[in-house]
Amino acid sequence: MTGSIVVGYTATDAGADALALGTRLARATGAALRVVIVLPSEGTMSKAVAPERAYEELLREQARSWLADAAKTIPAGIVHSAHVRFAESFGEGLQAAADEFGATLLVLGAANGGALRRHRLGSVASELLHASTVPVALAPAGLSREPDAGLPRITVATGTRPGAELLLESAVRLASASAAAVRLVSLMPLDVPAGLNTGAITLLKDAHVDQVLASARDRLSGETDVEVLQAGGDSIEDAVAQLDWLPGEIVLVGSSRLAQPRRLFLGSTAAKMLRELPVPMIVVPRTRAEGA
Amino acid sequence: MSESTKSPLSTAASAAAPGDAVPGTADPVTGGISRKGLSVGTVGVLGALVMGISCIAPAYTYTAGIGGAVGAVGFQVPAILLLGFIPMLLVAFGYRELNKAMPDSGTSFTWATRAFGPYVGWMAGWGLIVATILVLSNLAGIAVDFLFLLISQISGNEAIAEITRNPFVNVAVCLIFVALATWVSYRDVSTSQKLQYGLVAFQLAILVLFAVMAIVETVQGGAFEAHMPEFAWFNPFEIKGGLSMIVMGLSASVFMFWGWDVTLTMNEEAKDPERTPGRAAMLTVISIIAIYLLLTVSSLMYSGIGDKGLGLTNEEIGGNVFFALSGPVMGGLAFLLSLAVLTSSASSLQSTFISPARTLLAMGHYGAVPKRFAGVSPRFFTPGFATIASAVVAGGFYAVMRFLSEDALWDTILALGMMICFYYGITALSCVWYFRHQWFDSGKDFFFKFASPLVGGVILLVLFVITAIDSLAPDYGSIAIGADENGEGGIGIVFFIGVGLLVFGGVLMLVQRFVSPDFFRGKTLSMDAPPSLRQH
Repeated sequence: MTGSIVVGYTATDAGADALALGTRLARATGAALRVVIVLPSEGTMSKAVAPERAYEELLREQARSWLADAAKTIPAGIVHSAHVRFAESFGEGLQAAADEFGATLLVLGAANGGALRRHRLGSVASELLHASTVPVALAPAGLSREPDAGLPRITVATGTRPGAELLLESAVRLASASAAAVRLVSLMPLDVPAGLNTGAITLLKDAHVDQVLASARDRLSGETDVEVLQAGGDSIEDAVAQLDWLPGEIVLVGSSRLAQPRRLFLGSTAAKMLRELPVPMIVVPRTRAEGA
Repeated sequence: MSESTKSPLSTAASAAAPGDAVPGTADPVTGGISRKGLSVGTVGVLGALVMGISCIAPAYTYTAGIGGAVGAVGFQVPAILLLGFIPMLLVAFGYRELNKAMPDSGTSFTWATRAFGPYVGWMAGWGLIVATILVLSNLAGIAVDFLFLLISQISGNEAIAEITRNPFVNVAVCLIFVALATWVSYRDVSTSQKLQYGLVAFQLAILVLFAVMAIVETVQGGAFEAHMPEFAWFNPFEIKGGLSMIVMGLSASVFMFWGWDVTLTMNEEAKDPERTPGRAAMLTVISIIAIYLLLTVSSLMYSGIGDKGLGLTNEEIGGNVFFALSGPVMGGLAFLLSLAVLTSSASSLQSTFISPARTLLAMGHYGAVPKRFAGVSPRFFTPGFATIASAVVAGGFYAVMRFLSEDALWDTILALGMMICFYYGITALSCVWYFRHQWFDSGKDFFFKFASPLVGGVILLVLFVITAIDSLAPDYGSIAIGADENGEGGIGIVFFIGVGLLVFGGVLMLVQRFVSPDFFRGKTLSMDAPPSLRQH
């Protein structure tokens, strides 16, 4: 996967986590890294404060020095650049930056106050997860302090709902660009309507696993290592807790059925997973962005 | 304007940088100056008008300032208001010129340093910070009074309004208000334009309602001490009591117009920089003067100028006039006025907080105060340390004052007027001196860069000196410090707040000069005067 990865950066721990994840993915896929700080237009988000261009300039200088410091932490060999952008909201600014750079991925950190190795959605991430046209990667808190273990495996959480196909396609593209293994986790058992009898569920399960595996095999080249798992447990939280993770692994999920075409919307399944996941997660829009 | 006239803050930003990234080049940070990275002006005439009224917060300013003005000039308050506006207007012209030539977050501090060097600049910055911190503590104090009044009006229990007289409860609630305002400012909590428009409209509507009700009651014979308006109220030559009284009235009037210049200084931020600021400033001034005249005339008609009961020179009510008048005038609707003052104080708290924080930030940036003040919050992009420092000082100041004197609000306003005269005066003269090579470039330059700011600045500095001398008198302000056991002699508390804080600032300046002399040697921000632009 070439193209570019836009990192929504701030000079905070969360920003460092986002940059660390962006760096890993850029290294694994050969994409260029665009580190972006989005500042409030005229120095403030509040309409009650008089706008001041001079303060905006001062913030720009500050942001440039933050970006220069951040650039020093990016290892050699990764193509990268840094940018300051102004917008009415951070989410809007990142979305615009993603369009501007033709990004294939947007990377964000967790909100402040997230437990170590856990996700916590901030307002920016929430906004983007409801509006982004490109996949959004979320770095759990503390990622920047972990060693870079490359990208050994991609776990795809998949069901039978619309969008599963595209999700698989994204996983395949990412896997072939990075030579990572793919693990397909079927969330099918947790996806069926309540009240269905056990026999029917078992039948559906088996059928689903076969179907997913077949479709994955079709798409992946011979070298890619594919494994298929069924989610265990009674709930999404259980299922996620029972999975084992390799260092450096990431998870791909599709956005909700409620999303507008080509826009992200974090569904309840993904939201529940996010709370339990100790690894980075990428949310993929339900339909493909034009030109991607 | 030559390149050298720009402050380091803006020159650094305008250094030619490539529009966008060339991956892998030496400087990894790009995109600094590309149009994509620059926000476009967003403020229209209506937006600027609302901003201006919201910054002045007429409901708050009137309740805090009018008692002092009446105490000084009696029935001639409308006259002194009109008179006090003149130096503010003249100085605002100078402000606008400086802001055009050197847009900088340090405003008065930066401009005075460029014109007169580091020491004068430092003191101008200090004056601005002290003034804004004084007003912050006063705003919060007024808000506390009205919070309790509002609760008592809604619950029908009059005893609740008296709780504000308990200094412990009063100070505790005030500190909570300051903490909330700090939180809002520190996090740059986004306030929608609709909310701001709504608050301003509500404030103006209730003030007009108050005035109309006061006039109607006076006409119907229900007033405290009825008077019919006279032309003499508008005639400054009718003022009795001499120069000191006029000066005191003017300083209250200066306080009441303070903040108005925000509309004039929005240049690059305006949708149409040529027209918007001028029109907005004009509209703001007309609305503010109209509302003040309506309020002063109606409250003079209703209350008179006695020093007992609801009389406007009663010191007990002077620091917060609406607190006493809202019930008698508006009856069951009085809670609306309390709400208007509360929301007006609350909404101007955020915009007021920005001033000292950004000035401190700029001073930190240039090394005039410790570097730590220049810190910008990496999450909220606000001057984090400076904001919190301002809040701590404002809260502490209020607590000390409230325990010293129950009429602390009134003392603060007197000291505040003095401080505004000080730093506005210096700023205006900075404009005159900074543009000294351009005075005769054109008639316009002569008027805006020389004549207006010179006259305005001199008037304000004279006001400052006279007030400072007058405030030595033991009966100036609510209490005298150092009085003997009979309560005679001593020095008025306002002198200690006003002149005392300036002297304290001077000491801090010398300490900083000793610890970190670069700024004072002109290494970070040098003196300058742009050359004449006239073709020879």
